[in-house]
Amino acid sequence: MWSKRREDEIQPRPVTPAAGPTAEPQRRESNVMSTPTRTFDPESRVPASGSATLGKNVTVKGQIFSREDLTIDGEVEGTVECHEHRLTIGPNGRVQAGLKAREIVIYGSIQGNVEAVEKIDIKKEAKLVGDIKTSRIMIEDGAYFKGSIDISKAAQVQRPTPVQTSNPTVPATPVPAGVNSSK
Amino acid sequence: MRSGESRTSPKGAPGPITRQSKGADQFFAALQSEEPLTVLDLAGASQANIMFITELGHRLASDDIVATMEQCFGDGDFLENQENSERVARFLSQTLKFPDEHFDGALIWDSLQFLAPSLLEQTVEQLMRVMKPGGVMLAFFSSDEKASQIPVYNYRIQDQRTLLLVPRGAYRPVQYFNNRALERMFDRAQSLKFFLTRDHLREVLIRR
Repeated sequence: MWSKRREDEIQPRPVTPAAGPTAEPQRRESNVMSTPTRTFDPESRVPASGSATLGKNVTVKGQIFSREDLTIDGEVEGTVECHEHRLTIGPNGRVQAGLKAREIVIYGSIQGNVEAVEKIDIKKEAKLVGDIKTSRIMIEDGAYFKGSIDISKAAQVQRPTPVQTSNPTVPATPVPAGVNSSK
Repeated sequence: MRSGESRTSPKGAPGPITRQSKGADQFFAALQSEEPLTVLDLAGASQANIMFITELGHRLASDDIVATMEQCFGDGDFLENQENSERVARFLSQTLKFPDEHFDGALIWDSLQFLAPSLLEQTVEQLMRVMKPGGVMLAFFSSDEKASQIPVYNYRIQDQRTLLLVPRGAYRPVQYFNNRALERMFDRAQSLKFFLTRDHLREVLIRR
């Protein structure tokens, strides 16, 4: 009896990490390297399972390729590519890298060239030193930008996959067709 | 009064002003081209200016020379700091770092009038270097000889001849610029064209 009661007490405790049923949820969480305070992106419409985050205490030196939406709130030195996906540089993000993505939203600090097929959105606290190539740009008053802007409609035509139809909120300030300032 | 104390708090500053600009009108008329041109905007990046210039089909480079001045000389006496060789070197290393003969047009706005004479000379030298021969520049200078402070603005292009001026403080004037002084400053330019306005602003169109 004593030993049986003890077994009952033990039962609710977590099982070891190697146990089969818990392995799957752990793998799902593995793309979240730390948990940042994400007060900067209230309008995010991307499900949590479809995006990765580099938290504010994370430093990466090298190349990052992402096949899902990526938020960087830490430090990155190198290159970041998220073709066909959205890249967000959070308010704590400090990036010395070339960036390529479908869409780039900047709250933090970037030193490097930035290329977005669809749109670049520079928020008021952001700092960007580098050249921009994109189809559309939004820049809030107060943002610091130093570099050149190349508006390229050709990039939009080359986009391999259609835009998500559930995202009709892309700001309606496109550069008119035929305005290609690429040199 | 120490010149570093001459900047006013944005709190007491008036709101944005809309003004017509013949200088801007002629500047953009000179940039009419089927070919994409390269334009430099020294007022800092703004949605209005980016949209206007890229819709003309041109490529835009943006820099905020007043913000760089603030960073390099803003702590303490603004004019005295411009005599400090270390600060001057830092300012020049951050400003106008572009290839030779790169720009077809440059929007200088009112930034030059706050530079001390020796730094002004070096900055103009850099401007002439980055402009293509025949390229045009638009600069503004206060024409009020008695002003103890000159407001500094962010310039937002509304259309070819309409500008929205958003105040960003004021500085004590470094020197007074009349037409003769401006001709001397840009003595390497092909031509200078002056537009004297009723609101004490001298608009100058400079052709490299």
